[in-house]
Amino acid sequence: MSKKPRPAEHTGVPGTERPRLPDYSTADLAQLASLLIQLDPSEARDAADLNALWEALLGRAEKNPDGSAAPLLLARLVMEAADRVEAVILGQTGDPSEALAAAARLVAAAADGQCTPSNIPEQFQPAPQPTAAAAAPAAASLPGPQPTAAAAAPAAASLPGPQPSAAAATAAASTVFNVTAEVELLNEFLDEARDHLAKAEQSLLTLETHPEERDAIDTVFRAFHTIKGVSGFLDLTPVTRLAHSAESLLSRARDREILCTGGYANLALRALDGLRNLCEQLQRTHAGQGSLRIPADHAELLACLAEPEAHGIGAGAAERAPLPSAAKVSLPAAAQAAHAEHAEPAAAAGPAREGGEKQADIFVRVRTDRLDGLLDAVGELVIAQSMVAQDDTLAGPQRIELQRKIAHAGKIVRELQDLATSLRMVPLRATFKKMERIARDVALKTNKLLELVTDGEDTELDRNLVDVLAEPLVHMIRNACDHGIEPPDERRRAGKPERGTIRLLATHRGGHVMVELHDDGRGLNREKIVAKAIERGLISRDEQISDSDAYALIFKPGFSTAEVVTDLSGRGVGMDVVQRGIAKLDGRIAIRSEQGKGTVFSIRLPVTLAITDGMLVRVGAERFIIPTLAITTTFRPKDTALSRVLGAGEMVLFRDRSLPIFRLHRAFAVPAAVEDPLRGLLIVIGEGSEACAMLVDELLGQQQVVVKALGGGLRDIEGVSGGAILRDGRVGLILDPSGITRMARSSPSGSTGDTFFATPERAA
Amino acid sequence: MSTREPNSPATPDARSGKYLTFHLGAEEYGIEILKVQEIIGLLPITMVPNTPHFIRGIINLRGKIIPVVDLRAKLGMETLAASNETCIVVVRRHTMEMGVVVDRVKEVLDIKSTEIEHAPEFGAHVDTSCLLGIGKHNGQVKLLLDIDRVLDSTGLMQAPTAGPETA
Repeated sequence: MSKKPRPAEHTGVPGTERPRLPDYSTADLAQLASLLIQLDPSEARDAADLNALWEALLGRAEKNPDGSAAPLLLARLVMEAADRVEAVILGQTGDPSEALAAAARLVAAAADGQCTPSNIPEQFQPAPQPTAAAAAPAAASLPGPQPTAAAAAPAAASLPGPQPSAAAATAAASTVFNVTAEVELLNEFLDEARDHLAKAEQSLLTLETHPEERDAIDTVFRAFHTIKGVSGFLDLTPVTRLAHSAESLLSRARDREILCTGGYANLALRALDGLRNLCEQLQRTHAGQGSLRIPADHAELLACLAEPEAHGIGAGAAERAPLPSAAKVSLPAAAQAAHAEHAEPAAAAGPAREGGEKQADIFVRVRTDRLDGLLDAVGELVIAQSMVAQDDTLAGPQRIELQRKIAHAGKIVRELQDLATSLRMVPLRATFKKMERIARDVALKTNKLLELVTDGEDTELDRNLVDVLAEPLVHMIRNACDHGIEPPDERRRAGKPERGTIRLLATHRGGHVMVELHDDGRGLNREKIVAKAIERGLISRDEQISDSDAYALIFKPGFSTAEVVTDLSGRGVGMDVVQRGIAKLDGRIAIRSEQGKGTVFSIRLPVTLAITDGMLVRVGAERFIIPTLAITTTFRPKDTALSRVLGAGEMVLFRDRSLPIFRLHRAFAVPAAVEDPLRGLLIVIGEGSEACAMLVDELLGQQQVVVKALGGGLRDIEGVSGGAILRDGRVGLILDPSGITRMARSSPSGSTGDTFFATPERAA
Repeated sequence: MSTREPNSPATPDARSGKYLTFHLGAEEYGIEILKVQEIIGLLPITMVPNTPHFIRGIINLRGKIIPVVDLRAKLGMETLAASNETCIVVVRRHTMEMGVVVDRVKEVLDIKSTEIEHAPEFGAHVDTSCLLGIGKHNGQVKLLLDIDRVLDSTGLMQAPTAGPETA
């Protein structure tokens, strides 16, 4: 019996009428179950009876006009069963009878679970749409057993048919979707979805240059497919529907019907963004409860995905050459996918078989608080170990053997610390891939030709840093594409290759990570920047500033690079956002530029925020840690260098610049500290106009410290970024340089004079 | 049988159980033993600037930094120089730990519900809302502290969202 393309009425009538729901009666299901059990696997290839029964089952939709009892659960069970049977039909299961029995069990379960609307648990009381959507893939995924049939009806073989567009029509009706999913499951799904989307994005970009890359197509397909499967299980209908439509598009690429380039690639990327948007929203819904706002273009996107050609989307220059065997190929593809769906959860833990990267590494997901706990414990172990090693009883020649053993233990402890620290490290690869995507999008939007070359993607950084770094990098890449790289004709006139190059590099350098962004564009225009700064009153007219200081002006808030560097208007991406982002990471950013040749932004970052290089200083009886990276220099001032502005603000002249003096002991009310700058030390922190000289009693030396939160609600203390356990086991506060410079500017010399510590006795 | 005190989270029956008692000045106080994680001697405390006066600072509890509250200061008593007996009771709330400085820890008592009375009202100038009730044991009065309420009012206990690393 040949399979006809499924009429649209099965899943819903496009337009105003609500889709109807299939009603699985117990009798039908029981019959199906028994049929499945009796079915001879060898005859499965000619499963006409079975097919008829599916048809009947789904056909009941029409006989149930009021759409009352249609538990989604049942629809799902039947879908699942259908997948298994499909695998048998295509000869893809090792043990067909086992698979059939499993399918039978599923159907039987569906039959048992047959319930009246009143006793269906609420989360399965579906709004009419979800069920319709669940039924649509079920209908679509039923393959006709004979390839000829499928060839006769290509619409049925490749998934986009009337169904998705019907679904799209109904999606337009509602823009808010209520989420009711178990938190744990939802979080797991979101984690997995994020991974899949990232991989899919990477593969789509690969496909643009290498459209024939099978691995890449498979990766994208699998990503959409897995998301579809799991989101269906969680009742996340909008996600399911979008993933399904995207999968349909990819299945055509997979069947070599289309090449995933040009318009198709854009479409796939749009779908990917849509999914990401939905996932991000889901992440924000609390405890799995909440609503999902469906973007306005959701329905249109679904429609495009279903029939790209009808929306004027094509592969661009790429030729469309449907292979003669297209229909035949599509069947195993669908079945493989069904297969992959079951295998995927395992793969999430060990993505060794994921496309592209053939790595044998096996991964385990670990909660970050456990990692942090481990790091805490190891840090404490290091201190405890060094206490033992320095114990007086060990001194003297009699204890040499014991000393040797303790030294050995110390070595292991330090190794352990390195290892524990490295657990938090992740390569920059994912971030760089994201940048490739952004460069591509901006280039398209601004009609520029450019290439993003990345290098050093394997450079590892602390996970927290990597996440935060992405945002400033996005701004910088956008700026480089938009303002840095010239349009092709301008480049040609300037004698440069039409295609601009942006290079994104990462390297380890002396305990830090350097991230550099080179572009071979027009470079920064020093004169314009300076003129603008004078106009804004940021610098005085006759001030002589170095090139680097001039370039650094673009980091000032409200200093629109657009007006200065190019004449493009309407862009307000402030570079101040970039600098603030980098500063938050204890990093530094510097600019080199040559007009007409290009610009280089270099960012220097600590490898991790968990461990920081600090300068230990003493103020009174307290010790503080200042991140070494923030310190410009330390000096003891001469008498003549000190001055007062208007009798209040203390200033010090240093290298021809006058800096405000910030008295930490006053701001933090530390008793018995050095008052006279001539007897203490001044530490210059901050850059450019924000620099200040902080007065401390003395330097105690440099030390690597493990950065910890102060615990409880002791956050947001101005000037303090955290605490660290010092070598003697006591806690020292880590100063926040940007907070200190802020305090210095708001009250120079820390002269508020308030006593913040009213507690008379402080156990010390 | 005492009536349920309106602003006490616990019923009289729930209030009965084991209490860790300690001295604060002349009075003896009790904290439900289940809230107590451990008792440690007075460690060097690092001050934290710009915090309320009853926050002594932070200590290193086996590699973890936890804040320490001076219970005397918190309850409006005058503060006292540390003695040999001064110690820190580490209490746990949600996933957060916090140290509470007390003058001297005494014992663990099993206080029955019949021995607990609700705290009397003294008018506006004495706030008894931080008391679960008043326990009487062997003729002695123990003030049973609602330690959760005390600590919540420090502003240090927030919903357990603390992301430890990026302070």
